[in-house]
Amino acid sequence: MTNNMLIEARDLTRSYQKEGTAGVQALKGVSLEIREGEFVAVIGASGSGKSTLMNLLGCLDRPTSGSVILDGTEVSLLDEDALAEVRSRKLGFVFQSFHLLPRTSAMENVQLPLLYTDAPDLEAPARSALEIVGFPEDRFDHHPGELSGGQQQRVAIARALVNDPEIVFADEPTGNLDSASSQEIMELFTELNRRGRTVVVVTHDAEVARYARRIVSVQDGRIVSDEAGSGPATTEVTS
Amino acid sequence: MTTGRLLGQALKGLTRYRLRTFFMMAGIMVGITVLTVVLSAGMGARERIMERVRVFGLENLMVWAGGPTDQTRTGPGLGGGSTVTATLKLEDAQAISDQVAHVRDVAPFAREGQMEVQWRDRSFTSPVFGITPEWQDVWDWPVDRGSFITAEDNASMARVAAIGPTVIRELFGEEEDPLGQVIQVAGIPFQITGVLGEKGTSAGGGDMDNRVFVPLNTYLRRVANQDYLTGIRVQVEDIREMESVSADITALLKERHGIAPGTPQDFRITTPTEVTAMVEEMQGTFDLFLILVAGIALVVGGVVVANIMLLSVGERRGEIGLRMAVGARARHIKRQFLLESAAVAFFGGIGGIVLGMAGNVVMERITETPALFTWHVLAAGLLFSTVVGILAGLHPARKAAALTPVDALRS
Repeated sequence: MTNNMLIEARDLTRSYQKEGTAGVQALKGVSLEIREGEFVAVIGASGSGKSTLMNLLGCLDRPTSGSVILDGTEVSLLDEDALAEVRSRKLGFVFQSFHLLPRTSAMENVQLPLLYTDAPDLEAPARSALEIVGFPEDRFDHHPGELSGGQQQRVAIARALVNDPEIVFADEPTGNLDSASSQEIMELFTELNRRGRTVVVVTHDAEVARYARRIVSVQDGRIVSDEAGSGPATTEVTS
Repeated sequence: MTTGRLLGQALKGLTRYRLRTFFMMAGIMVGITVLTVVLSAGMGARERIMERVRVFGLENLMVWAGGPTDQTRTGPGLGGGSTVTATLKLEDAQAISDQVAHVRDVAPFAREGQMEVQWRDRSFTSPVFGITPEWQDVWDWPVDRGSFITAEDNASMARVAAIGPTVIRELFGEEEDPLGQVIQVAGIPFQITGVLGEKGTSAGGGDMDNRVFVPLNTYLRRVANQDYLTGIRVQVEDIREMESVSADITALLKERHGIAPGTPQDFRITTPTEVTAMVEEMQGTFDLFLILVAGIALVVGGVVVANIMLLSVGERRGEIGLRMAVGARARHIKRQFLLESAAVAFFGGIGGIVLGMAGNVVMERITETPALFTWHVLAAGLLFSTVVGILAGLHPARKAAALTPVDALRS
């Protein structure tokens, strides 16, 4: 039995046209399918187009041509508000630089996505998300400046999970972390995936990609390989 | 997302960048402080004008002997003073009373500058008025003890006087009871039959309590030896009839005095509207200048807020991108920044109002004119600060909302 198709990208291209310069084609026709429960690493060198790909799959950007069908909806046709709605309901993001609000408690940072939904309760989902990522309860009130890099990234991951998204996208999630913290964070993603969460990690680091069960290599705007990784076998999600 | 939650985010945004918030608030505070002081001074001046017009009496007009171009007039701004125009007669007052509609009371009077008033060895220089009993009604003149000039006093040309508190203080001090005493007015003995209450300051700014009132007939025959009046005070039945009564009296007197169209009148009429205009003119034009200063200060405050908000949007691109990534619509971003700038200006406005109230105390010391802080001033301060905040926030907020998530996150 195969899991449901979550993302179906067809012939994606993305060009950046800056005034007075020749256009740069960051993606040159990429097709990719991601199913529920997968743990995919998109690996490539800087400038390979991997981040562009993530932005398109994550509805943060629109393709120049091609289509992205997310959970049955053709998202490249949606307007900005509808895209924001999709991001709000179905997607979670983790960034290399954490992007936590300064001078704002871990708890409130995690609550942020809930503000843009009609969730009546902010506290309980945030608390449970922080517990899932193993963030110590005695630091719920701490500001990012009072936390280590690894802890900050845990808060960011909790924030990505708080809306119970279909997919979590992580763009170089270990890029600002030491190797011990990196390992912890990747083990956390592995654990999330083991519990059924679909995870897409974008990285240049083969060590990081090693945790995924499927590795998609991007080079020069194209997918050059798509093979099984060394992570544990894909979980069958029954839902 | 509810406005309440957005406002919460805006306020948290402000507390997160305290120095920036402080500078924005300070910018608005300066403008609102100036505005508060200016408006309070304006309200104080307005109140004084209203007070004077109230003293003049909203339901009254004055007919003065002497035309608008009569150079012999020497009295204060409102036209009291002396005049040699001898054409306004008691019969004119009677004609107004008989022939002009909507007139409630007519009080003719005569006065000729200041006169020497003596009691024993003390003397005082006082404006002496010859009046009729109607004078009390049209002025609502308070009487402390005794009685006002009566109709019998006037008919019998009695040598009686009703005198104001200033005169009593000057002539009798505290110890002697003035009632029944005999004073000399221009050398003629008058018995005091009425002690008047406080009347305060006249519309022209003079003391109204330094006056000596005697019966009009007594004044005309025994004191001044004349047959003409200084003026006639007319009370209308309804304020709305003021202009028509004024026009009717003008027409009547022109006819009675045989004034041909196009030739100067030998009388003039003062209505409360004119009193207002006259007193306002006396207040000077510096209010307009100060309002201009307050306006400029507010604009400068707005520019400060706009610039710092713009800077803030630039520095908080990451935050904006993140908010968009986790589901914020462009309108949420726009409203958040608008609310931030409106809220910072609102609080700056409150600070400005408080500072302005302190400024009022200082200004009162310096200018020696009372400032009046009313709810109008409070409302204007809050309204103007918030409006300036919203206007200043429009461009930065639009700029923030126009960012795409990818561009915003890239910073």
